[in-house]
Amino acid sequence: MSTASPSSPLLDPEFLHKLEQLELVSRKIFVGRMKGERRSKRRGSSVEFADHRNYSVGDDLRHIDWNVYGRLDKLFLKLFLEEEDLHVYTLLDTSLSMDFGDPTKLRYGKQVAAALSFVGLVNHDRIVLDTFSSNLEVGLSSVRGRSQMWRVVQYLDQLRASGSSDLTSAARSFAIKHPGKGIVVVISDFMDKRGYEDALRYLMARNMDIYVVHVLSREEVEPEIVGDLRLIDCEDDDEAEITVSAPLLKRYKETLDAYVGGFREWCTRRGIAYIFTTNQAPFDKLILNYLRERGLVK
Amino acid sequence: MRPLLLAQSNPLGGLNLQFDPPVPWFSSWGPVFWSVLAGVPVTIILLYFLKLRRKPVQVPSTFLWRRSIEDLHVNSLFQRLRKNLLLFLQLLAVLLVLLALLGPQVKGSARVGQRFVIAVDNSASMSATDVRPTRLEEAKDRALALVDSMGSNDLAMVIAFSDAARVASTYTGNKAQLRERIAAIRPSRTGTSLREALQVAAGLANPSKQFGEGEVASEVQAPRLMIYTDGGFPDVEGFSLGNLVPEIVVLGRPSEGGSTAPDPSQAPAGAGANPSTPPSDNVAILALQTARNEEQPDLIQLFGRARNYRDEPVVTTARLYLHPIDRPIDAGRLIDAVELSIPAGSTRAFKFDLPDPGAVGLEVRLDVEDELDQDDRAFAAVGRPRSARVLVVTERNRYLLNALTTATAGDSAEVIEIRPPELEDDDVRRALVAGLYDLVVFDRVAPEEPPASNTLYLGVMPPGEAFETPEAVEAPIVLDWDIAHPMLQYIRDLPLVLIRNALVVEPPPGSTTLVESDKGPIAFISPREGYSDAVIGFSIYGEGDQLNTDWHTKLSFPVFLYNTLRFLGNVQEALGEEVHQPGLPVVLRADATADRVTIDPPEGPEVEVRRSDLGTFVFNGADEPGLYRVSWESADGENTNRSVFAVNLFDARESDLAPRGIPPEGVSGREAEPYLIKIGYTEVAGTRQSRPARLDRWWWVALGALGVVLFEWYIYNRRVYI
Repeated sequence: MSTASPSSPLLDPEFLHKLEQLELVSRKIFVGRMKGERRSKRRGSSVEFADHRNYSVGDDLRHIDWNVYGRLDKLFLKLFLEEEDLHVYTLLDTSLSMDFGDPTKLRYGKQVAAALSFVGLVNHDRIVLDTFSSNLEVGLSSVRGRSQMWRVVQYLDQLRASGSSDLTSAARSFAIKHPGKGIVVVISDFMDKRGYEDALRYLMARNMDIYVVHVLSREEVEPEIVGDLRLIDCEDDDEAEITVSAPLLKRYKETLDAYVGGFREWCTRRGIAYIFTTNQAPFDKLILNYLRERGLVK
Repeated sequence: MRPLLLAQSNPLGGLNLQFDPPVPWFSSWGPVFWSVLAGVPVTIILLYFLKLRRKPVQVPSTFLWRRSIEDLHVNSLFQRLRKNLLLFLQLLAVLLVLLALLGPQVKGSARVGQRFVIAVDNSASMSATDVRPTRLEEAKDRALALVDSMGSNDLAMVIAFSDAARVASTYTGNKAQLRERIAAIRPSRTGTSLREALQVAAGLANPSKQFGEGEVASEVQAPRLMIYTDGGFPDVEGFSLGNLVPEIVVLGRPSEGGSTAPDPSQAPAGAGANPSTPPSDNVAILALQTARNEEQPDLIQLFGRARNYRDEPVVTTARLYLHPIDRPIDAGRLIDAVELSIPAGSTRAFKFDLPDPGAVGLEVRLDVEDELDQDDRAFAAVGRPRSARVLVVTERNRYLLNALTTATAGDSAEVIEIRPPELEDDDVRRALVAGLYDLVVFDRVAPEEPPASNTLYLGVMPPGEAFETPEAVEAPIVLDWDIAHPMLQYIRDLPLVLIRNALVVEPPPGSTTLVESDKGPIAFISPREGYSDAVIGFSIYGEGDQLNTDWHTKLSFPVFLYNTLRFLGNVQEALGEEVHQPGLPVVLRADATADRVTIDPPEGPEVEVRRSDLGTFVFNGADEPGLYRVSWESADGENTNRSVFAVNLFDARESDLAPRGIPPEGVSGREAEPYLIKIGYTEVAGTRQSRPARLDRWWWVALGALGVVLFEWYIYNRRVYI
């Protein structure tokens, strides 16, 4: 925890350096495109033509393509692609379980959130940062523009791990609070004993593009404990008595693989992008490679 | 029925545990030792619980761990066990070590301990040297080997048997004791009776014979009865083995070659040989007896019979040695010899004539080298004729006096007659008290005090409380008499005897009724302080000198009196005494005055024998064949009287050295039956080789403990869990 202790500021020079690199990358990606714009699949009232369709009673007469009417003597409506702001929601788990690892999963999650926000801000998207532990906690809402990056960092920096995680109730509150569409990135370790399925279904119901970033610490992936132990759950004080042995560790890994694999499959079946990472993977690479591969960054 | 029996027999279900710890409970530091040992498991448990305080570790979530151990929790009991597996292994190891230290011995369990009854035949034939050094030594070696191979939990009992069985060692697991006791088994010179051994073994092996109806109480573990013998004994009939499992190890040189098929026609009669007997290298004297020559009374004849067990004729010399009895029995003096030529497998008689040498011992030796020395010698005793001193107190009963002084009776008795009043004389009284007479006959007169001698009362009751109230009966009719009693030998015509009056009394305890009438016992004999009182309830004459009976006209009257002289007068038959067998008690008679005799056996120190309550001298130490010198002080204390008796084992079965019990090769089924040894209805085939006892040692438990420790170490280090 030397360089990345929970107390050390998120905005250290190395992090800033990586963000700048990301900015360059982002610029490269978005070169030649209008900033602040993102084409929506919805037909709307922008200037970009999308399609024609037959007129039906009640349609706005202003959208009738009179040129076509003159030529064909039929009423057609001109349809335009609607331009809208893109909401990038980030839902960060700040429960106590995230406060483990070196760096802690929370810090790692903050870095990922900061990086994604940065990319979003650079692209003039609307950034909404929410956190949750046992409940959804309203965080930073609707910041836009690169100049707002400091607010994001400041907000993330002051986050502290507390409480137990209740992803389901948080997701329900989130869905109620944010009816709009957009991208939602859920950063969590998903160590909720109540499961993740209901939570993600709430988000899916909002027709959002869901990205799941599953962060685990190295200790969780490769346990290095020995002896007769009484494991205490930091969130609900649940105890599990184990005697560490090779078969038990093997079984643990199998369980972990099965859990991750099942999670991944569940997400894939529902069109949810699932990214698994540990706190050891460099977050910028995660951003660049993993998110690009999954279409979060074009 | 069976589970019930098991439950009854042992609460441990047959595990009859006993412990023989190397450090006894009550030795000086035993309590400390055992309490420290007992503290070890307690300490382990305490340490375990101290260690069991699992280190609490905070983890992000027990979510995955719970899932990981979830399927391990399917069998919660097993999981609990698994949690404490190390503890259990440690406890198991320590308990095993403790158990090993306790030196467990399990009786009567097939799994853990076995019981052996080791019966070693030490009869005469076991002294045969066809197996070097002797069969008995070989048998002892085999038995010792069995003892050596015994597990520490096994128990064994040692029985040495010949004509009688002796328990050399009761059940014990103490091998040193067993070895010592087996090594101490001496060869005996007697015949063989497996029944004796079986009875002793069964008595110890089948503790309570009958439980319910026809149900033999079974110990859980049937004892293995190992019989080391040469098979020289008759089949045991009417014996139930119970849960004894006999195993007969036959010793002796196996019969050679295509052994002779059983052919009864070839077997010479009288040899008592098994028809299936193969030849053996032995020549034996099977009988020897002295007799006085009928025509020349001063000539003693010695008859003997020798048998050749070889399959080839043998020519040998029978030498007659004379042993004077006025000095200890030694090599003897050769006085005669005859040459004997005995065909293969047959018997020849031989005879010596010699002038009456007085009381001497005679010995016949066969000049032959064979495998059993004992039966190459035979002994005979020639006694000195001895007459009884008889006092008759009668009022001129001439029939009585005549019958006591016949020529035959006169040879064996010196009869003195007195009248009843003379009983009062001091001389007579003193002689009676001093026991100068062997027999006193009281005819219709009873003394005030019983004399120190055997007595015969006729028509009167002896003094004493038991005879105070006789009942006078008239015309009793003789119903029965004890023909087996020596006094009534050759007596046949008692029912013809007419009796007018008789006295009848209930014989005192210990008496033997001689003649029974319809009115009660009219003749009996009862013991008194080493003497015998014979009582006839009637006499020849009754009241007023009238004839009371016509017995004197019957043949039985003189015969009875002669028998009485011989039986009550201690008249020894000078020659042709009964055959004494080794190991059996010898009953001797000596002068009425002697209260002890000294017996000089052929081996060992002199033995003094006191007069028994029955007036005889019973010698129990005649274990060796040979001549036994008997000496006692004469009545006046000046001279020493001497006599001799001979002990011989004339046993064709013992002399026949061919081992029995193993069918020849190629003989099986019914044809093999004659070769088998039958015990009750069980036919037991002998073996040459004895199976060793199952090997299990206490240190198996200790090794188990070590194994458990190693296993625990492995588990602890490799963190192997199921």
